[in-house]
Amino acid sequence: MRDKLPFEIKKRQNPSGLGVITVSFLALLGAFIVASIVFWAYGANPVNAYRALFSGAFGGLYEISETVRRATPLLLIGVGLVIAFKAKFWNIGAEGQLFLGAIAASWVALFSPIPDPLLIPAMFFFGFLAGAAWGLIPAFLKSKLGINDVITTLMLNYVAINLVLYLVQGPWKGETQWGFPYTDKFPSVARLPTLGNTNVHWITLVIGVLAAVLIYFLINRTTPGFEIRVLGSSPPAGRFAGMSYVKTTLLVMFISGGMAGMAGVGEVAGIHHMLMNPAELSLGYGYTAIIVAWLARKNPLSVIVTSLFFGAIFAGGNAIKVSLGLPFQITDVFNGLILFFLIGSELLMSYKIEWRRKE
Amino acid sequence: MLKNKCYMTVSLLVIASFLLIVFSGAVVAQEREKLKAGFIYVGPVEDYGYSKAHDVGREHVEEVFPWLETFYVENVAPSDVESTIDQFVNNRDADVIFTTSYGHMDPTISAAEKYSDTIFFHCSGYKRADNVGTYFSGLYQTYYLSGLMAGALTETDKLGYIAAFPTPEVKRHINAFAIGIHEVNPDATLNVRWLNAWVDPSGAKEATQALIEAGADGFAYTEDSPAVLQTAEENGAFSFAHYNPMYRFAEEGTVSGQVSKWGAIYQDILYKVYYGIYTNENLKNVDYWWLLKEGAAVLQAKPGMKINPEYEDELKSATVETDYFGEMSVYDLVMKRLEQMKADRVTFDPYIGPMDDRQGIQRLKQGEWATHDELWQIQWAHPIVKGPWPGEPKE
Amino acid sequence: MEDWIVGTLSRTLAYSAPLLLATLGEIYSERSGVLNLGVEGMMILGAVSAFATAFITGNPWLGMLIAGIAGGVASLLHGFVSITLRANQVVSGLALTMLGLGLSGLFGRGFEGKPLEATISNVTVPLLKDIPYLGEILFVSQSPIVYIALALTPVMSFILFHTSVGITIRSVGENPSAADSAGINVWRVRYLCVLVGGVLAGVAGGYLSIAYRPAWTTGMTNGMGWLVIALTIFASWNPSRGLLGALLFGALMHLSFRLQPWVAPELLKMMPYGSAILALVILSIGTLKRSMGAPDALQQPYVRGEK
Repeated sequence: MRDKLPFEIKKRQNPSGLGVITVSFLALLGAFIVASIVFWAYGANPVNAYRALFSGAFGGLYEISETVRRATPLLLIGVGLVIAFKAKFWNIGAEGQLFLGAIAASWVALFSPIPDPLLIPAMFFFGFLAGAAWGLIPAFLKSKLGINDVITTLMLNYVAINLVLYLVQGPWKGETQWGFPYTDKFPSVARLPTLGNTNVHWITLVIGVLAAVLIYFLINRTTPGFEIRVLGSSPPAGRFAGMSYVKTTLLVMFISGGMAGMAGVGEVAGIHHMLMNPAELSLGYGYTAIIVAWLARKNPLSVIVTSLFFGAIFAGGNAIKVSLGLPFQITDVFNGLILFFLIGSELLMSYKIEWRRKE
Repeated sequence: MLKNKCYMTVSLLVIASFLLIVFSGAVVAQEREKLKAGFIYVGPVEDYGYSKAHDVGREHVEEVFPWLETFYVENVAPSDVESTIDQFVNNRDADVIFTTSYGHMDPTISAAEKYSDTIFFHCSGYKRADNVGTYFSGLYQTYYLSGLMAGALTETDKLGYIAAFPTPEVKRHINAFAIGIHEVNPDATLNVRWLNAWVDPSGAKEATQALIEAGADGFAYTEDSPAVLQTAEENGAFSFAHYNPMYRFAEEGTVSGQVSKWGAIYQDILYKVYYGIYTNENLKNVDYWWLLKEGAAVLQAKPGMKINPEYEDELKSATVETDYFGEMSVYDLVMKRLEQMKADRVTFDPYIGPMDDRQGIQRLKQGEWATHDELWQIQWAHPIVKGPWPGEPKE
Repeated sequence: MEDWIVGTLSRTLAYSAPLLLATLGEIYSERSGVLNLGVEGMMILGAVSAFATAFITGNPWLGMLIAGIAGGVASLLHGFVSITLRANQVVSGLALTMLGLGLSGLFGRGFEGKPLEATISNVTVPLLKDIPYLGEILFVSQSPIVYIALALTPVMSFILFHTSVGITIRSVGENPSAADSAGINVWRVRYLCVLVGGVLAGVAGGYLSIAYRPAWTTGMTNGMGWLVIALTIFASWNPSRGLLGALLFGALMHLSFRLQPWVAPELLKMMPYGSAILALVILSIGTLKRSMGAPDALQQPYVRGEK
């Protein structure tokens, strides 16, 4: 044996639910311990840091609402990404699809002839379509021409960013923004209602939860879902069974792009009430959602939990910045560490370690 | 005799009132808790650009006022402003909160409704409330002065401007730079390239290179790194530093620069808050639009150096025929204009008519001074400006 | 017009060099079966450590060395998680990018706004510079790093396609279990290739902070690492096509400023990304389709006795 490690890694037949939770918890603990060193190096007491993190995310009703608000786009996008990942389509382009949804919603709110009462449904409808259309481009290119999905989805993000910039700096620049590159504010009928005095635009949230349930059923209980699973795990087997790779790929990206598009609708109609510089519009939700979807182990219902977890990290991370005066990069480091520990622990869930006996 | 008595009375009064102020100040300072001011920045404080300049201002007031405690958060996106303000008010007992980006405007206004006891000041916006004032430091006069120098120093009659985003502030600066150039050198053009980013050193470098290839030999810019300055010097071109003194990055290529002194504004605001002149009920009409005169903007290559001595001779030997002062050297003209704009009674501004834009539309009538609102919303381009101009008005 | 083209090509080289270096590295990494989306993170760690080293020691070449080491160490983290722990390569790469951007930002505070005396300055090669056109493009005021990148391309291409080392790497990326049966240590090969990717990404970052534009600015790689990911695929995992792609991207980036008088800046900024997709479409329709395929075992952790 060339493998000289003192232990052997063997596959577990069925990782138990409890095992998964215990291992994830231990991994988080590990990440927190390492992050403590970073906090301490920057002159902050780690205990205070975690207290601030926790109270910033869950300290009260308002803090919880801030967590939920940030979880909302992650939930919508994450659910959509789950179905793409199920089909082994690497959609790194949710950020761009989100922007397309935001563009469509802004068009509906500011320039369309759609009557007032229908504005909000129309924003979600067109936002979904725009995101879906943006998602269908790489789907078509991959399934028909065999062009790599990572590259096309990634490149289309940059195209979308500059499309938004073009609109807000040129044709759509607002009359009331004193020349700044923002569109005008949406009329109040085109703004999403929020819960009480929080920033939770609940319609988007409800759509996200419903979508999680629906997509769960789609994947697990329907024929297209079956095809997605089969083609995702073994394309040749699916093709042999007469399944259409092209059709399935287009379907998953229609949904995946559409969900990201609706997340974009939520951000512009629920939070900003205008179209603006992309860097201010989304805080990288499209990228974070990749992690959210992955941590949910490709289960749409688990996305509800993982999106809340990252919503809490966003909200709590902001709180750390404010109350301890730490440099903003600390949240990146923190997120990176959590991720490394979580994915590193993956192995422990589906495999077990057996120590070699001395020979 | 009578005169002397008068002097005596006046000076006694002055001394008495001075003592009173000092004494009452001391009493107040002992009785009151420290004033707590929170700053919310849009970028990283180490960006060496816009947010850095604000933070230099914050450090300044913290040093000047012993009764002041400050704290800040960096890199705050508009959607995070409200929750950041929540934290400032609830967990750090902030009395005054400064928000520093146009995108922060609406969240600041809505947070101000929620926290009506807290005083807010928003930088670069136009919405105010009883407890929200606004402030901004304008650099356009300084850009104009740099333009005067650039017009005299260029040999190719082609100058370059590397611009971040097409916001009114950036357009105001570009036009002011152009006005200065045009006044000294009617043949010169100003070529603009857009980065569509506040920080993009590689882009700024390539944009500068592109303009150098096209013949430009002098630059001004709006980008938060010294990339333009460095690239210009590398190619034997000159440029003007932006926002922070960046002379040390290019000691040969830096002629001068436009430097912000937010500290001047912060000092005035916080002083007035502390002594109860500004309250949470009377800020509806408080707007700071501070320029050279108030010391919120300065012309310098680095502290203590207005103009790089390497360029002094050339600027002194270049002459220009002015309407008002007759023939004089460009160096003297710069100093004269600086003096006029710094005087108690400002007798000059770059934006005085007649002025047409590059579409041929008249923007300012003969002798007309641009108003605050016109400057703030400026969209048009000066006739010598070449290159794209997003959002250019056609009427 | 001639000047215009010569000037553009000369700048293209300067801008392409970091893209090329990092792409060559990523090609090796992916050829061995490990996708590393952490290029952005490794590049920026390289940039900050190169700057810090050159600033403190006054030796820019030592800075480049440290940049390579920093990128290498960062890549080993990805290697450990994705090779030994068999974790998902996409997520691990994203985590590395986050960590790299964050850590570099933390380390870099204090170096921001500091001018660097010890830089790697451009060189003009005597004699060669007088070659018509080519001399001016290649040999007037170019960074030595550009030459290193250009020289590495054929070397790395040769190793990959014409030596036993290359066969080993490719077989590990195509069919690890067959390679294992043939007595190749799959893990070691993968670790080494990931390391090559990390070192080159780090050096590319170092070029940015001490040669291309000597200064440290938070987040200064500004998405270049993502371009490298795209370029690797665009190059069909082939170093010489990587050179072609890097030059194309470099030219488009520079041109996006040159062409501004005629085309809207936002549209120009889309151009490099849009053209990449367009070029792939053309390639895939054309005859080159056969050579497009990714290594078969890309993104698949290797487990002996499984599959």
